[in-house]
Amino acid sequence: MASRRSTRHDGDQGVRFSRTLFIALLVVSGALIAFDRPASRSAPFASFRAGFTDVSAPLLDLVAQPLRAIKNIGPYWRRQGELAQENARLRQQLIEARYWEDLAYRQRDRIEVYEDALDVESAAIEDRIGAWTVADPRGPFVRARLIGRGSDAGIRDGYPVINLYGLVGRVYETGRRSARVLLLTDLNSRVPVMADRSNARAILVGDNSEFPRLDYVGRAPDIEPGDRIVSSGDDGILPRGLPVGEAVATRDGGWRVRLYSDQAPVDFVWVWPFRRVTPPDQEVEAEIPATEGPLIADQLVIEPAAESSGEASSLGEDADQGAGNGAGDDVAASDGTATEDNR
Amino acid sequence: MRKPTDRNSPWLAATGCIASVLVALIIQASPTRLVEGLTIMPTWTLMAIFLWANVRPHFMPPIAVFAIGLTQDLLTGAPMGVWALAYLVSISVFRFRGEDGMPRDLPPVLLRFGATLLLAHGIAFAAGSFALEQMADLQPLVIEIVASILMFPLPAYLVLRRRRSRGSGFIGG
Repeated sequence: MASRRSTRHDGDQGVRFSRTLFIALLVVSGALIAFDRPASRSAPFASFRAGFTDVSAPLLDLVAQPLRAIKNIGPYWRRQGELAQENARLRQQLIEARYWEDLAYRQRDRIEVYEDALDVESAAIEDRIGAWTVADPRGPFVRARLIGRGSDAGIRDGYPVINLYGLVGRVYETGRRSARVLLLTDLNSRVPVMADRSNARAILVGDNSEFPRLDYVGRAPDIEPGDRIVSSGDDGILPRGLPVGEAVATRDGGWRVRLYSDQAPVDFVWVWPFRRVTPPDQEVEAEIPATEGPLIADQLVIEPAAESSGEASSLGEDADQGAGNGAGDDVAASDGTATEDNR
Repeated sequence: MRKPTDRNSPWLAATGCIASVLVALIIQASPTRLVEGLTIMPTWTLMAIFLWANVRPHFMPPIAVFAIGLTQDLLTGAPMGVWALAYLVSISVFRFRGEDGMPRDLPPVLLRFGATLLLAHGIAFAAGSFALEQMADLQPLVIEIVASILMFPLPAYLVLRRRRSRGSGFIGG
């Protein structure tokens, strides 16, 4: 007994650690918490996190593979008796789906004709990027999943992520070979949506529950239980019309959404490389270099002092040159008239 | 003649420590939700840290506890420092001290682990809420606590049994 005690004392339990190091680690932990807030995360922190997930993703993928292999055992076992019925139902759905497929092709052709006629550029629809979920931590602080593809495959921050049934979330942390997907249920998730039937707008707010909340619906929203909720595309980040879920009324008179994406485990997802279509008014602003100043014709009329004093703005110089050619007056006058008319 | 505790290499124990912590971290982040009905996840990481910190304290210095917590933060997508701080403080407060170290009976170990678990999750909740700038979700934390309390007796029993059979040591000890 005595020898056992002395062994523990010498080798195991008599260990004393540096108090200074302990305090230093506490301070470092506190500093990390203060500076790595999701709402205001700086670029170095984000890139460090992305680099870490890049390194850990292959290992996590290795662990996830056997889980994928057994994931359907439960449902398959339970549904053995229902397979014949399900098969018949799926055949019927396939027949109906063929009708909708034909209709979709016809509509696509029609839209292309309209777009050509109107010279409108629609949202770019590129090939979707398939990815496996390699980590699915269900922590209290974030509802996010790690997928095994990153910027090398063309994934960027903000791209929507969908599964077979609907919208899952969007990419918010992209590494080279991995990316983190913020789920619709996360506390920080905000997605503009609308009811497919009535076009009633709302914001889908994640609150870590399985049924995210519909906020900003107005006093008498035109929403009914079971309404199909889709993305409205109002933010320009997500495309319009992505299926999200169906509306569910709550006891307190509010609205929540039963997510379509929850109908199946989110093991395989597609990332949609969606590029926002720039509205025409923003296109004009984007085409003008910042150094030239805004090309707003009514400023030439409204600010005569700047024009007459010949201040060295490039806009003023252009106007002066135009006046020298004898055409600038006409332009200014016509624009000024138009401005007055608008008023 | 060498004592029984000296016969086994400390490298084996160190390997066991690293492997168990690594496995715990990976399981913590693994997509278990893919498996139907398996959505409850105990804090395996804290169990591993707690057991090693009490059985082989020199394998689990504060810097190691901090590193494990930080790794868990990064793997799970939590704000950095949350679990690092929670593990660091809770393990330091409730680590068995003195010559006798961890008792060889299960009940006091379970009690001490329960206290460690509650403190760790309390700190994580407060730190996480501070980082998120809103109240963190309490439900997953409560589920983790309950699942951990239910699961911990099994690894604790195995460790204590191993210690009893091997004298003072644990794996390789």
